[in-house]
Amino acid sequence: MKSSARWWILLVIAAVVAIACFAIPMYVIRPFRAQGGRELAMALAVMRIRPVLSILAAIVAVAVAFALWRMYAGIGKRLLILQGAVAAIVFAALSWINVYELMFHGAGKPAFVSVKSAALEPDEMLLTVNTGGSARAYPIDYIAYHHIVNDRAGNIPIVATY
Amino acid sequence: MWRRDVDGQVLTFHLAGINNQNFLMRDEETGSFWQQISGKCVAGPMAGRELKLVYSDEVTAALWREENPNGMILSPLSKYKSEYEKKDWDKKMAKVRTVLDFPKTGIASRELMFGIAWNGASKAFPVKRLLDEKVVVDRVGGEPVLIVVGPDGKSIRAFHRKIPNAEAAPDFYRAVNVRDVKAEDANAVAEAAKKPLLMDAATGSEWNFKGCAVSGKAQGTCLEPIPALKDYWFDWRNYHPNTTVYNR
Repeated sequence: MKSSARWWILLVIAAVVAIACFAIPMYVIRPFRAQGGRELAMALAVMRIRPVLSILAAIVAVAVAFALWRMYAGIGKRLLILQGAVAAIVFAALSWINVYELMFHGAGKPAFVSVKSAALEPDEMLLTVNTGGSARAYPIDYIAYHHIVNDRAGNIPIVATY
Repeated sequence: MWRRDVDGQVLTFHLAGINNQNFLMRDEETGSFWQQISGKCVAGPMAGRELKLVYSDEVTAALWREENPNGMILSPLSKYKSEYEKKDWDKKMAKVRTVLDFPKTGIASRELMFGIAWNGASKAFPVKRLLDEKVVVDRVGGEPVLIVVGPDGKSIRAFHRKIPNAEAAPDFYRAVNVRDVKAEDANAVAEAAKKPLLMDAATGSEWNFKGCAVSGKAQGTCLEPIPALKDYWFDWRNYHPNTTVYNR
């Protein structure tokens, strides 16, 4: 095998790993798709290792691209090298983004107002909790969007989900 | 609604995926994945751990305001205002295709259920039937329960149907003078919430929507509230395969 063939193979592997880091969870855990228990566990395992794995793949891809760049002067080959490196970098970066929080922004640190001063429709539905000496309500309209609100009732840390 | 402290460590959750139309959460602190519907950790360092459930309610603003005049309510984040859905989003959701179906059960996938998982058993009560019947006396896992529609005609609560020092499994009825009020009429709801809603056959006491006796032999005692979840049939059935259904 020519020594450059090894580099090409390594570039392809690095790019594929970066793509898989992003694509596997994206494919398995997308909305409106039923998930089996084992494939979910596999996708979650990918999600847990991908921050490190994707960076490694990107670094390897870039290093290999440098090596190959010096071996080839032609436009055609150099374009291929660039594509491999760019693909690895782009998908490694995408692996770091939480697309679900892009679709449904996190509520962050929520602000609360007294129920007396709040502008509410009488028949508007609220998710409510009474604990830690505190009565707290989360309008269903809002929490149906944010899905998760990390909060505290008195000194009890709670998380409201919908 | 869950406690987000596990063995003294407080976790902060983020949305991490949609799992069969329920969702997955991930905590910042350990990177573990948790199932929203069960509070169980399904992957990561905390795998196998469970969050503790906190009793929560789904009630109308008018009713809650009357019951909790000092309550605090989440203020909308103005930059996302346009993304919050309208009041009738659940009607729109009812038309969306489901990823799972249970046709053999003869129940429509998007039929809204009031689901109780308690005392080792699960039971689903069709919300339409509850809103119709207003007071439902039944059993879950063999234990007597009481499900009541509030004075606003919309809020629903479940209680363990057990009065201390009284006969087991007492019957409950709607109090005589209870009028149906419209949930949109805040004043009517507030007035109705102040009056007794139920009477029990064992002690003849009158009870309010909080499950507390306001008159009679049982005055001052309260029934134990049971957590329930309003859920579509297909989702409830998926996570509670052994569920029974009210009156079937």
